[in-house]
Amino acid sequence: MASRPVSFTRVAQPVRSLWHRFAYVALVFAAFGLMLLGKADMVIVERTRVAVTDAMVPILEVLSEPAGSMTRALDRVAELRDLQGEVERLKLENARLRQWQHVATGLQAENQALKRLTHFVAPPTPRVISGRAISNAGGPFVRSILVNVGARQGARRGLAAVSGSGFVGVVVEVGEHHSRVLLMTDLNSQIPVTVQTTRDPGVLSGDNSNRPRLLFLPQNAHVSTGDPVVTSGEGGVLPAGLPVGVITAISETGVQVKPIVDWDRLEYIQFLDYRIEGSNSQPISEAQPGTPLKALTAPESTSSGGVSVIGDAPSVTTPLVGAEGSGRP
Amino acid sequence: MTPGFVHRMDSWARHMMPAVTTLILALLNVIPLGLPALSDVMPVITVMAVFYWSVYRPDLLPPVAVFLLGLAQDILLGNPTGLTALTLLAVHGVTLTQRQVFLGKPFFVAWLGFTVISAGGFVLMWILTCILATELLLSPAVIFQFLMTAACFPIGAWVFVRVHRYLVR
Repeated sequence: MASRPVSFTRVAQPVRSLWHRFAYVALVFAAFGLMLLGKADMVIVERTRVAVTDAMVPILEVLSEPAGSMTRALDRVAELRDLQGEVERLKLENARLRQWQHVATGLQAENQALKRLTHFVAPPTPRVISGRAISNAGGPFVRSILVNVGARQGARRGLAAVSGSGFVGVVVEVGEHHSRVLLMTDLNSQIPVTVQTTRDPGVLSGDNSNRPRLLFLPQNAHVSTGDPVVTSGEGGVLPAGLPVGVITAISETGVQVKPIVDWDRLEYIQFLDYRIEGSNSQPISEAQPGTPLKALTAPESTSSGGVSVIGDAPSVTTPLVGAEGSGRP
Repeated sequence: MTPGFVHRMDSWARHMMPAVTTLILALLNVIPLGLPALSDVMPVITVMAVFYWSVYRPDLLPPVAVFLLGLAQDILLGNPTGLTALTLLAVHGVTLTQRQVFLGKPFFVAWLGFTVISAGGFVLMWILTCILATELLLSPAVIFQFLMTAACFPIGAWVFVRVHRYLVR
């Protein structure tokens, strides 16, 4: 009885020292191997990642809750400090918005009249899945966040993620209880976009900074700073017309875009799902350019939808056809 | 439930402490704090932990634990799998060869050593990221994150010394 552990140690000792000697080298090779396998999009690596993240999500959810409340409390204090200024600002904004309301009512009436004339088929309204961001953007090497909704809630890969004011990124990984959103600022992110005013197509390419670049614009593009950029829907992965950002700088090296979304306040994220049962099986690219985000995020307000490319409205298809024709570099 | 068994469980739990606390800190590292631009330059706690334990108690954070911590961080952050694991293993290996230099010396020597070794780690991670993305990553945030990590090392070390003193013993 007493001799057994001794003999075990005698057998285990050489194995142990061998393991100690080679463990380090073996692990370095394992890390390299995993990198290569991950690069080759191996399903097993992907599955393992999803499973591990799913296991860690409950912990992150619990931890991020008090952090979120603390941030909100700090925001509240900052707001209270500048209450007078805020009231003044809102009064001015309210006056301006009243003017816009007049314009909007006029346009809505005109829009409805035109829709009747052209037998407009309303674009599909998306299903909205809302979740909370439970991780930060991840540092300078990667830009992605975890959201606490997964396949159980109907999330799937390729959905567009928006946050209140604008486009955030694309869902790239879905587990049972979580999804990972690749932010548009990530090095690996390529989003087909359109400059809203000139209808010039391009690709918004992230570089891990907060200012992604607009690439592959047509040779004759006449973009200027301040032009809004929206998703173009090309490729059929993302819906068209989601507000992305504003052009802030044009130089020899490229066109810089400042995203609308506030990266420091990424708390609640919405996924837009356009593939609804019962509607036609057209892919999400069927959504319309120029559709305001409000109409996309609020399913009941269908009346404010944008222009149509379906049916008999040939004139408005030009920008999209143009986008497909000259979108290639 | 012999005293021997309890004792063994206790010592086993104590030996797990460096890895467990590092994992918890790594989880805290990715919590969204909503503080402007902080997530871009969050100090990397795992690098500090790997350096500290490799210098003072390498037996408690073996290469396997370093590798698993790296993998966990990769999966948490969405990095390519193995990227942080490889970087942390490199930091661990280099620190092990130099640990005699830091042992028994004033703290700022270790701090200086950490700055140099973690700089190497960041460069390695940067090169690997560029290779894997087949694109040149020119983000000043990389440098800021390194500076933050180096600057926050005393805070990290303060925590690890407490863990070392009260939880590991």
